[in-house]
Amino acid sequence: MKRFSRAKFFKGMNLTVFTFAMLFLYIPILILVIYSFNDARIVTSWKGFTLKYYGQLFHNVAIRQAFLNTMLIAVLSTVISTLLGLLTALGLENKKLKGRKGFMGLLYAPLVMPDILMGVSLALLFNFLRVNTGMWTVLIAHITFCVSYTVIVIQSRLEGFDNSLIEAAMDLGAKPSTTFFKVKLPLIMPGVIAAALLSFTLSIDDFIITFFTSGRGFDTLPIYVEGTIRRGTITTINALSTLVIGFTLLLVVFTKRIRKSLISSF
Amino acid sequence: MKNSVKSNKLDYLLAAPTLIWLTIFFLVPYLIVLIYGFLTPDIFDVKFEFNLDAYRQLLDGTYFRPFLLSVRLAITTTLLCILIAYPVAYLIARASDKVKNTLLILIIIPFWTNLIIRIFSWRIFLSYNGVMNNILMRIGLISQPLEIMRTDLAVIMVMVYVYLPYMILPLYSVLEKLDFTLLQAAMDLGATEVKAFFKITLPLSLEGIFAGVLLVFIPSLGTYLIPQLVGDQRSLYVGQVITYKIKNIPRNWPMASALSFGLLVLVAFFLLLGYILLRKSKVRGVV
Repeated sequence: MKRFSRAKFFKGMNLTVFTFAMLFLYIPILILVIYSFNDARIVTSWKGFTLKYYGQLFHNVAIRQAFLNTMLIAVLSTVISTLLGLLTALGLENKKLKGRKGFMGLLYAPLVMPDILMGVSLALLFNFLRVNTGMWTVLIAHITFCVSYTVIVIQSRLEGFDNSLIEAAMDLGAKPSTTFFKVKLPLIMPGVIAAALLSFTLSIDDFIITFFTSGRGFDTLPIYVEGTIRRGTITTINALSTLVIGFTLLLVVFTKRIRKSLISSF
Repeated sequence: MKNSVKSNKLDYLLAAPTLIWLTIFFLVPYLIVLIYGFLTPDIFDVKFEFNLDAYRQLLDGTYFRPFLLSVRLAITTTLLCILIAYPVAYLIARASDKVKNTLLILIIIPFWTNLIIRIFSWRIFLSYNGVMNNILMRIGLISQPLEIMRTDLAVIMVMVYVYLPYMILPLYSVLEKLDFTLLQAAMDLGATEVKAFFKITLPLSLEGIFAGVLLVFIPSLGTYLIPQLVGDQRSLYVGQVITYKIKNIPRNWPMASALSFGLLVLVAFFLLLGYILLRKSKVRGVV
């Protein structure tokens, strides 16, 4: 009897912490959404419902440009780093490769490096090479921090791969290229999609590395938002954030495929 | 035999582009950081003249305080994350499959909302006449608004907020694989829940804790954005000092480089320490 009640106590404690953690994770998001409809210049008091910030949002050229820049960088860096990741993961499937361990170390190192170090070191590299910072330097930086993630996510999918399927296809007379594109690639596709999603997310979310590698005149959304917050005009940012959050939620709730890939990527 | 040599060649070719990419854009830049630390600062740039000032200042204690603050913050954040994440991960791991997926999605969604935007909403929440003070005053818990914004407490709160999912997910993935019948067995043999937890669950989840610590502690060491947006600007963390030296005029890139190198050494030290501790616990047969 005593043991039973103690088990209940533990479960209750876990549930309390869980509820607390959820509140903790969602309070900021909730506040943003509510205040994006608040008809007041100062964000801290409620003055009634309005949609005017959403209107302002669509007429703001700087935001539109920053949004386009973010998407451009995200799409390009996702495509390139996923492709690089796929090739590398396939190459590293060969466990007998000489120097494999060292290469794996090089792949894991960017994952544990504080962002600021990658930002600073790339900024100095571009300075040393006398390269003008802008879209290209940002793209290079994004590929650099995404590629380790894509390799590792695709690798984990390849690990569970049943090689007898390849042998079967070959035995039935399929060419190596046919086997790859018709059998292997479709089977590891969920891993590839998860990798792409992860690198897209990392890219659109990055502030610090972009901050160090983008010159004047090439703002991504996080850079623009940070600048705006610094200048103190924040009302449109609330509306923008709400749209981003809404879009995210729609994507996650309504696309089962994405949801599954997301879970498997962690 | 011939075939395997051929496939080795192909595998090298497949892996080569990423290897070359990371060498040029990940390894070489650190070499340049090392070199720039020995140059002479200029207002906008560097002069290519040998100069030991930056490393002298790194070692003579001028920048001891930012390093100390950063390490303290990283430790506090990591410990709080473990304390909160463990019960959460445990609860998710023991939930039924359907509930489990929903809960996981709930943890992952904040990941998909821009970091700056989330930090920004903490400012609305914590500010002097912000949401939290309003609520607390309305229910009569406090009579004066609390001044949390721009304090170390605000930095810690937001740090835990940002890094919590990075601790929950690896812990969840080990706890999910844990064989809970072991606990039942231990308790049938007379162990209390507390004893079973400390003798079985905790040791078996050490690897997850280690992965979580890696994902939380190391990035925390270099944090810039959070102290910049919600912290007290009189006490600067290493990440802020480095950023100022790079961005603010007059610039001091050699100092920024030396500080970055110091941070890199610190990261390497903690990684090594973690590795040794994990190996030790493995040797003892705990993990």
